Amino acid sequence: MNNAGNQRKYSRDHRNSIFNYLGKGELGGKAAGLMQIQKILENENLHSDINEITVSIPGMTVILTEVFDQFMKQNDLYPIALSSSDDVFIAHSFQKASLPPAIVGDLRDLITKAENPLAVRSSSLLEDSSSEPFAGVYATKMLPNNQPDIETRFHKLTEAIKFIYSSLFFSESRDYFRSIGRKVEEEKMAVIIQDVVGNHYGEDFYPLISGVGRTYNYYPVQDSKREDGVINLALGLGKTIVDGGSAWIYSPLSPQSPPPCNSNKSMLDNSQREFWSIKMEVIKEFNPISEMEFMRKQSIEKAEDDGVLSLLCSTYDYQNDRFISGIQEKGARLLDFSPILKYKKIALNDILKKLLHICREQYQADVEIEFALEKITAETSGESVYHLGFLQVRTMQTLADNGNLSQLEYLPSALLAESSSVLGNGRRDDIYDVVFVKPDTFSAINSRTIAREIAEINRELTTEHRPYLLIGFGRWGSSDPWLGIPVTWSMISGAKAIIEATLPQMKPDLSQGSHFFHNLIAFGIFYLSIQEDKKKTIDWNWLNEQKIIRETDHVCLVRCSRNMEVIVDCVANRGVIVK
Amino acid sequence: MDSKAFNPFRMAQEQFDKVADILNLDQGTRELLRNPMREYHFSIPVRMDDGTTKVFKGFRVQHNDARGPAKGGIRFHPHETIDTVKALSTWMTWKCSVVDIPLGGSKGGVICDPHNLSLREQEQICRGWVRQIAYNIGPLRDIPAPDVMTNGQHMLWMLDEYETIHGKKFPGFITGKPVGMGGSLGRTEATGYGVVFTIREALRELAINPAETTASVQGFGNVAQYAIELYTQMGGKVICVACWDQKEQKAFSFKKETGVNLEELRSATDRFGGIDLVKAQKLGYEILDGEAWISQEVDILIPAAMENQIRKDNVNSINTKVKIIAEGANGPTTPEADVVIQKNGIFMIPDFLANAGGVTCSYFEQVQCNMNYYWEKDEVLSKLDIKMTSAFLDVSRLAQTKNIYMRDAAYIIAINRVAQACKDRGWV
Repeated sequence: MNNAGNQRKYSRDHRNSIFNYLGKGELGGKAAGLMQIQKILENENLHSDINEITVSIPGMTVILTEVFDQFMKQNDLYPIALSSSDDVFIAHSFQKASLPPAIVGDLRDLITKAENPLAVRSSSLLEDSSSEPFAGVYATKMLPNNQPDIETRFHKLTEAIKFIYSSLFFSESRDYFRSIGRKVEEEKMAVIIQDVVGNHYGEDFYPLISGVGRTYNYYPVQDSKREDGVINLALGLGKTIVDGGSAWIYSPLSPQSPPPCNSNKSMLDNSQREFWSIKMEVIKEFNPISEMEFMRKQSIEKAEDDGVLSLLCSTYDYQNDRFISGIQEKGARLLDFSPILKYKKIALNDILKKLLHICREQYQADVEIEFALEKITAETSGESVYHLGFLQVRTMQTLADNGNLSQLEYLPSALLAESSSVLGNGRRDDIYDVVFVKPDTFSAINSRTIAREIAEINRELTTEHRPYLLIGFGRWGSSDPWLGIPVTWSMISGAKAIIEATLPQMKPDLSQGSHFFHNLIAFGIFYLSIQEDKKKTIDWNWLNEQKIIRETDHVCLVRCSRNMEVIVDCVANRGVIVK
Repeated sequence: MDSKAFNPFRMAQEQFDKVADILNLDQGTRELLRNPMREYHFSIPVRMDDGTTKVFKGFRVQHNDARGPAKGGIRFHPHETIDTVKALSTWMTWKCSVVDIPLGGSKGGVICDPHNLSLREQEQICRGWVRQIAYNIGPLRDIPAPDVMTNGQHMLWMLDEYETIHGKKFPGFITGKPVGMGGSLGRTEATGYGVVFTIREALRELAINPAETTASVQGFGNVAQYAIELYTQMGGKVICVACWDQKEQKAFSFKKETGVNLEELRSATDRFGGIDLVKAQKLGYEILDGEAWISQEVDILIPAAMENQIRKDNVNSINTKVKIIAEGANGPTTPEADVVIQKNGIFMIPDFLANAGGVTCSYFEQVQCNMNYYWEKDEVLSKLDIKMTSAFLDVSRLAQTKNIYMRDAAYIIAINRVAQACKDRGWV
């Protein structure tokens, strides 16, 4: 193994360390990052003035990359994996295969001793590299690991490992590889088996808080600066944030400031109403090739019944149109984490600021971290303390060259679109194709269909290596189809410039889907948001005059006779698309 | 090599006597355990293809079934002797006991040479063997399995005859059936993998990284090939493989300092399963004498061919670098050679522990058959690993605690368990 460090080979007959590995080969990006942080955490005195929170990496065993090679070879899986078979067929073929004999005994021993739910996660060689982020491309599987017999638990673990392996060859992953001009065969997969941070609440298991912190904020609001960073918090498993769902977003330098909102009602409407948990009850339906087999979404009322909201919520006082920290009063709950962020019931923000700083220093680059918080009740005193599980760290690619648009003026007639809210920096002039959601017939009820139609066109354009401009309405990548088009990154991976516009019937706040935007920035894709009530708009008439290459019920692909020029200036926060 | 004087049953009894003294077993228990409980000798008349009738001599020996139904293979061999079958049934008792599976020991055989028999004639022998003993064997009494020159097809004929006689389905009557016909996934690999599971644990105890070790293997049959496969996966390097050459009627050793490539060697086998000399030479293998495997400068020796291979006359040619001998074959080391190995401080993984993966997986097959529900390969192999590792640890802990030789420790555990079962049943 090339990654030297404080990990050790899995051993059956003594207590294992936080990091263990099985087999030979590489740790993969995710596991290597965690190992590096573990070393830092061991040296840093994070708890000198913050007693109620401990920080550590949850215990993990990594199946190294050569095991993946052996698995593929001994089961002769590459012909199926590299064929054009659909995901279900590939997943089932992998399920029928056997894991290498050198690790199955250790896996059985591991599952015999594991007491908590487990997360089975990918840690591939290319994953989490800053130049080509693969975050979110491969599957993760949560296992309740509470079945009474070891046979079932072992079986579920092996199913999950094979499922993670197979996800490397799913269409989403293959499209992604195509979009970055690499071959899927280059990739090798390590797998992390990690304790899930969280607590048991009846037939559910979930963390009190999960979150993502970044040292660079792509969407600075109010007085905050991009360099201040940003933190997203959510109740339950981190899937809420990863999927771009509603989370509480704040600047670590001003944790008391709420995100901008038109009204308290709007804030309530846009706040987290549901959360993800691991199902701990007896499962009636089995689906080993589903990431969601053991997960479910629940309303926050369930969390209130579980008694976990007291630190996480404010209550809406409708008579005075204000929010009161805590849940002592009756009323609608707002998951704003106010007891923690405003009243410092737990010094979570202080710890997160420290962690972000440490990671920033360590990597000498802007970073993104994932974490989860669980409550630990001391057996003797009954007092509650908290444990922050550090789940992931990766570098962010931030903006480099300045597009320098501040001094340039264009005649409105020369522009296809202009935006005063942009992401990215620089210019490109190689785009001829525009994929746009037809504004006249757009309805949120069709957003899932629209996503599929875009994915189809994206696949064609990617195969032909044609970069394109994508125009749509609402939040790109939203998991809620009523708030935007629910695409995953691979469905729009060929887009080199994206416009997120609003229509009267679709005007939510703009999205900040964690992995989605990481990809946008990492690939230098320009992002322009255009709100319909602003002066800046899109020249739909000109678009409709262009040659139609493909048209579906809701989406149109046109090809311009000459190239467009896209210019984005991050500093001036201005972007134009010149016809 | 003085093979004519070699009597395996006498050797089995000597081994037992030594341990019986250590365990201070009473006379009754000694008498019971140093001899088989039941021996069946019978004749199997077969109408041959040429119209004549030939009578074949068949055996079944049930050494001891105090811990559960007896378990043992059926051998077809022209030089089969009752002493060999008795010895092998005794060793089966110890083998099942040392890995702590609830089975006793047995063995069977027919004096015949399948090479000179048509498939129809072989089928008649199989069915005839079952007809002779159908009421003394069965899933709850004595479970046969393939052995020398018998295979899954033979087992299916025997199963079919047994079920016909008894008028019911008994998939657990016999093991080693083909997968899909009641066989277990992982059975083919089980013995070879089991050998390597024990090697892995021995290396761990000696604080040696498997990836920094080399091995020399005698044999290129099923056990040897899967042992090489898993050992290589663990990072080890096999530099020498010895194999019998049917054409030349002698053994050769095939050496490659950079490490043998299993796939390459498999592709170079002749129609008898041996390694083709010309092909191997072309692949860059050095062809050495058949005995050369034993003198290689390696960390591990794996005799996985046949019995009586490490003897008084060649034991001193074992290289001083060798740290572990894992006996993949049954009885590859003679008692005289064993004394030298023990004196030289080589870590011995005795045959009935090292190669118990096969019978353990047969036991799993029987369990699956009795449930009529079959496990996935991961399930089988993970259970096998746990079982083999656990057995190894029991033996090595005793060896360390009592400061005794591994073979003696394994016998002490195995014989003690069987003796205790006999006592608990009130037999002695």
